[in-house]
Amino acid sequence: MTRKISLFSLILVALIAVAAGCSDIKREPGRVYMPDMAYSRAYETYSVTEAERDSLFSKYGAHFSNTPVPGTVKRGAMFPFLLTKDAPGDSTNYVASKAVKNPLTSMDTVEAERLYLVNCAICHGPKLDGNGPLYKDGSGPFSAAPANLTGKAQYTSMPEGQMYYSVTYGKNKMGSYASQLNTQQRWMVIAYIKSKQAAGKTGAAAPAAAPAGAPAVAKDSTK
Amino acid sequence: MLPVKEIFPQLYQQTVNMIYHRPVVKWLRSHILLLSTLILTGNGLYAQDGHALFQANCASCHSPFKDVIGPALKGVSERIPDKNLLHEWVHNSNKVLASGNAYFKGLYAKYNTPMTAFGSQLSDPEIDAIIKYVETAQPPGPPPTANGTTPAPEEDNTLLYGILTLILAIIMFVMLQVNSSLKKLSDDKEGIPAHEPIPFYRNKVYITFGILVLFIVGGYFLTEGAIGLGRTKNYQPVQPIFYSHKVHAGINQISCLYCHGNAWESKHATVPSLNVCMNCHAAINEYTQGPKLIREDGSEVNGTAEIEKLYSYTGYDPKTGKYTKPAKPVEWVKIHNLPDHVFFSHAQHIRAGKVQCQTCHGPIQQMDEVKQFAELSMGWCINCHRTTKVNFPDSTGAGNKFYSIYERFHNDLKSGKMDSVTVESIGGTECQKCHY
Repeated sequence: MTRKISLFSLILVALIAVAAGCSDIKREPGRVYMPDMAYSRAYETYSVTEAERDSLFSKYGAHFSNTPVPGTVKRGAMFPFLLTKDAPGDSTNYVASKAVKNPLTSMDTVEAERLYLVNCAICHGPKLDGNGPLYKDGSGPFSAAPANLTGKAQYTSMPEGQMYYSVTYGKNKMGSYASQLNTQQRWMVIAYIKSKQAAGKTGAAAPAAAPAGAPAVAKDSTK
Repeated sequence: MLPVKEIFPQLYQQTVNMIYHRPVVKWLRSHILLLSTLILTGNGLYAQDGHALFQANCASCHSPFKDVIGPALKGVSERIPDKNLLHEWVHNSNKVLASGNAYFKGLYAKYNTPMTAFGSQLSDPEIDAIIKYVETAQPPGPPPTANGTTPAPEEDNTLLYGILTLILAIIMFVMLQVNSSLKKLSDDKEGIPAHEPIPFYRNKVYITFGILVLFIVGGYFLTEGAIGLGRTKNYQPVQPIFYSHKVHAGINQISCLYCHGNAWESKHATVPSLNVCMNCHAAINEYTQGPKLIREDGSEVNGTAEIEKLYSYTGYDPKTGKYTKPAKPVEWVKIHNLPDHVFFSHAQHIRAGKVQCQTCHGPIQQMDEVKQFAELSMGWCINCHRTTKVNFPDSTGAGNKFYSIYERFHNDLKSGKMDSVTVESIGGTECQKCHY
């Protein structure tokens, strides 16, 4: 009888151990029937062979996914923005960018709105009031108040070229969007912002000029 | 006597994990207990069905608990007691709005997004199943309290039933043994010569039964395993940085396309380069507000330390706000992998097909650690292609114009402009029909 009990309890313990040992956290992809069909032997996006890894990483670093050759323009793309990024502390090109005009004559407004909502609205808000979900009146994780694009004269009267400069090279806590938006898309977003600003303008006369280099992340006191 | 905890610390830990750790409970539910559910009637299958329907049809705009694009659905059967009206609303929301229903008009004014008209895509029982799921669904556990205790496990009746089945089986076994012993006793008393007692492990009935059970269980796992070979569903690798989609896309509402913008334009969704991370993380250098981050194995993650890992990859110094060290790439582990012989384009699916990211990637905005949601098997692709209707251009010209040639043929045939469609008209003389 004791033998029976011990055998039975052994089976029970084994069952519990098996059940507890398995889980559905799957850290390995598992086996495949034909690995050379499942995992490409040809080069694919982001793929790198073990042999090349170190030499490529040491050569390109974080820019492992290559950028186009400097100075080249893609076929069909817009003429690039010629002003280069200012050195820290300098604002020559930032001021010079005021003179640059938006080369777009017409655009797909639906697409421009989509680009704004995807890339900008997260901070500047879907209503362009500088109160996107990341800021939320200061309760969000983003510590700096984003520019209130419709409520502040500094931004409503900011020339298009200067906006373009900021979007391209970044300004204060805002990073560069050159890798996410191409030249045309950046101009589209700016045209969208300008059209919203024009629509939102009240009868009050717009102040003549915005101070150049004014902090874009100044706390919005109207909120 | 020492407690179990001290004698078998590992076993104890595993048992505790088994009870408290949800994936394991899910595993139990889906595998072992499937057999017991067969015995104990198909309890719970209906609600499960509602869950799947909800994920497939509603989850991209609705959550049971939170207002997303549309309102939170929990309590909907109290807010709209009239079931027929609710069915009508799901089938054709425009009609209900046009009829001037004040409640739905209010909803429309609040969310400013029309509810998708599902038409005949969802039947009334299916809608009821979804509502049943929504009403019974429990919100994901609250962030664990400050002292780090695990949240109480959610009630899972299947586990209870499974244990009950096991207990009943044991009782049955014991009773059978008792029965045979008693029979032997009574036989002895009555003087009937007892035959040699056979221990249960040599009893042919038990052996046959055991083999049968092993055969069924083994067959089930063998089939599952063979089908699963080469499919990486639920693959959830450890990534170099604990990047939580729940925090980024869920709580902070960052658009999927902010980081994976290439999905709009190319075959690949692509992983963003580090400068995209730094667009926000130049300013956000600590994780303080969100819920506690817990790895799948139950260990806790320090969000601020994970952001510091990002800084170490980019060479950024958060104190001075400058990039001081050379950057190195983050080697993220690819999860969704299609075989070499499959062509798949993200751009085509999301722009022409208007497929939501969540349709294939699951509730990504709720995942701390991303796992593969869909099977990515051929049958899975084909099923969706079989049921998805082509959105031909409507009177305003909005819609998928790519296949409008078929619509034109259809109209021309109907009006008698054409009497037949030749192979050439549908691309039969394209070079690549033969030369590929």
